[in-house]
Amino acid sequence: MTSKTITKTVYDWVDERLGLSEIEAFARHKQVPVHSQTFWYYWGGISLFLFLVQCFTGVLLLVYYRPGAEAYESVRQITFVMHFGWLIRSAHSWSANLMIFAIMVHMFSVFFMKAYRKPREFGWLSGMALLGIATVFGFSGYLLPMDELSYFATKVGLEIPAAIPWIGPAIANMLRGGPEVSEFTVQRFFALHVVVLPALFLPLLGFHLWLVQRHGNAVPPNEELKPIAERKSMPFLPNFLLKDLAMWLISLNILALLASVFPWSLGKAFDPLAPAPVGIHPEWYFMSPFEMLKLLGNVLPGEAGEIGGILLFTFGIALWVMIPFYDASKESGQRGRAAHYFGLIAVILLLTTTVIGYWTIR
Amino acid sequence: MNYPFWDIPNLGSGWVIGIIAIFHVMISQFAVGGGLYLPMAERKALAMPEGQLRTDWLKQLATHSKFFLVLTAVFGTVSGVGIWFAIGLTHPEATSTLIHNFVFGWAIEWVFFIVELTTIAVYYSTWDRIDPKLHLAVGWLYAGASVCTLIIINGILSFMLTPGDTWISVAGTGAEASKFWNAFFNPTYWPSLFLRSCVCASLAGVWALITSSRIDGDKQPELKASLVRWSVKWLVPSFVAMPFLMIWYYMMVPASQQALLTLGIDTINAGTFSAVTRMALVIIVTSATIIGVAYFLAYRSPLDFNLSHALSVLLLALIATGAGEYSREMLRKPYVIGRWMYSNGVRVPYVARINQEGYLAHSNWVWNNSTSSYSRGEAIFRGECGSCHTLNGYRPLKSLLAGRDRANIASFISMLHDPDPDPKNPSPYRRFMPPMVGTKDDINDLANYLNAQVNPPDQKQVLTAQK
Repeated sequence: MTSKTITKTVYDWVDERLGLSEIEAFARHKQVPVHSQTFWYYWGGISLFLFLVQCFTGVLLLVYYRPGAEAYESVRQITFVMHFGWLIRSAHSWSANLMIFAIMVHMFSVFFMKAYRKPREFGWLSGMALLGIATVFGFSGYLLPMDELSYFATKVGLEIPAAIPWIGPAIANMLRGGPEVSEFTVQRFFALHVVVLPALFLPLLGFHLWLVQRHGNAVPPNEELKPIAERKSMPFLPNFLLKDLAMWLISLNILALLASVFPWSLGKAFDPLAPAPVGIHPEWYFMSPFEMLKLLGNVLPGEAGEIGGILLFTFGIALWVMIPFYDASKESGQRGRAAHYFGLIAVILLLTTTVIGYWTIR
Repeated sequence: MNYPFWDIPNLGSGWVIGIIAIFHVMISQFAVGGGLYLPMAERKALAMPEGQLRTDWLKQLATHSKFFLVLTAVFGTVSGVGIWFAIGLTHPEATSTLIHNFVFGWAIEWVFFIVELTTIAVYYSTWDRIDPKLHLAVGWLYAGASVCTLIIINGILSFMLTPGDTWISVAGTGAEASKFWNAFFNPTYWPSLFLRSCVCASLAGVWALITSSRIDGDKQPELKASLVRWSVKWLVPSFVAMPFLMIWYYMMVPASQQALLTLGIDTINAGTFSAVTRMALVIIVTSATIIGVAYFLAYRSPLDFNLSHALSVLLLALIATGAGEYSREMLRKPYVIGRWMYSNGVRVPYVARINQEGYLAHSNWVWNNSTSSYSRGEAIFRGECGSCHTLNGYRPLKSLLAGRDRANIASFISMLHDPDPDPKNPSPYRRFMPPMVGTKDDINDLANYLNAQVNPPDQKQVLTAQK
């Protein structure tokens, strides 16, 4: 038996049971639109790739990480003693940040291409939920090394849910496992980070990917105006897949570059009695809401500002998430234009408040 | 020491060389690889049957040769001269050694430069004007001259890492030039030559992808597909040989320098210790990615390969080249010329004498009658630390020494000064850094200067610590 016949026999055996040829035929017929904005189609794939890197490096870190009282010591060992431990840890941290960045680019490209319109509403909603979970992944993972910076940043970060009227303090206490951030908090955040969040994220991701396969790539409104005969497309298999893989390779490269040139350092072990170090600030993806709350606090000092800020945020996010339901029409009418401006304002607000946030911590 | 100190605040003078050099290497190695690419491509086109494809290939090669001429003969030449200015100002002692030792090497190199510049100008301006066979011969002449420039410069560059025992045995006697060939064909000469040759071929392909990606695939599909695919093939030698060549190179590097690579495996520590390891990782990943992207994006679907794809590959090549040159420089630490001259220009056999007579007594351009310890310390800082460190910018001593008080800084300098460190358990600092040379007073002056920078006198807590 030659290797070719062996491969064919094995393939046939699996195909008979799992129906591989049907999937292959589906992929072969699937077309991806080609136009001036095709570049943005790759960002969902890039986010997925970075998530896979997270899983791989996360499992490796899990081998040596010890939550609880020994958390800092175990991360110190990973960073300074284990062979290439620093590289795995840096790759994990950098890919987490890059993943959130890629998801955000993906979200805004979907928004501006109006890819949330019928029949893709569930795609948009599940995507938003995935972004929400990804930021909680980031928040919970940030504390795990238990160094000075992560300790104080978490302490400050938990003041936001604590500001919610009536139920806020209870929620914050539950997350902390007591009135202060301590080893119990690490234990809880660890459970959240490696069990609860993946259990929520993975099925939701599967649902999201299934929807993408079901509905295909949406074309932007200006492309929709063209007659079908004038629209270009490429087969998913092999053309788009090859380009997608090349993008994955480029992402891997950027990740390797960042992890190698700027390895994630480890600060001093936390000391709850020490004063907070200067320049404590949240991660970049929380900087914008943090700064907006701060600015609002200047206008409306005290509890009124806190409550007002939280209400305003809830309203803004709800408006953003519900976009498929009030900008549903295929034609770019007045509502369509309003939604477009809403998106532009959101981008400008996000960027300016983030820049102001970093500017003012200096 | 024998020359004035060139102070570049924040960036550090080393990076002035670094930035120019990375840019120059990208172009000069293209000048060698691309020099072979042009006549080989022309020969291939001339061997094609008469027809549209043959005409299109030749036309496209004429366009590519214009791009090649401008890039190599203008930017390559200017940046090459820039390197001379930069190394002359940053490392005058080392530059002096290289000039004195390789004076005929440089002369031969420049003869080939002139041949290169002349032939490429003739090659570009005589497309369709002279007999194709003669035109091709001019192309081969250029290729030969450019390969010779690589053969020569490689001897000088690899000498700096591994000068070899024979040259070391005569170094400082005035008879160094008599061992020219030993210094030239030093232990890392051959692996380095083959490594650089592979890089040259890859860069020829990468740069050719820039011009061929601009061909309109809808109008000239056959031309674009064939040229893009042929250009990708120039990456194959690197793909096959690079891993073996890197291992060969590594085996020829002295054990003390090999240790610099392994130091980064289990720690990131203060960053610098593991820089070579981290950069080596970047080279491996980036090179593999270039091959992957070139195969997936260019070779498999050449008609879709556009300028932005080609620029991404070029950017990756720039990162790989930058990381490669940076690692090569770092691998030499703590020397600028292996076992002969430390990276701050102090010659190894002079250490004992300077330790007795004082550093400033040997610094001809420093006004050394100052009674101020701070001023003397500043002069020592510039001379001994300034080649690699700045106060606030690159490898900033203010933050690297932060948290240490005066006594701690002085003890750190003493550790660097120790003329007889324990060989079994050397400090990682001593593996990378030259020894601090000078008398006990010099240590004291340098500690005073650094302490004033790290702990400015108005900080109350430091004053308390000093009591």
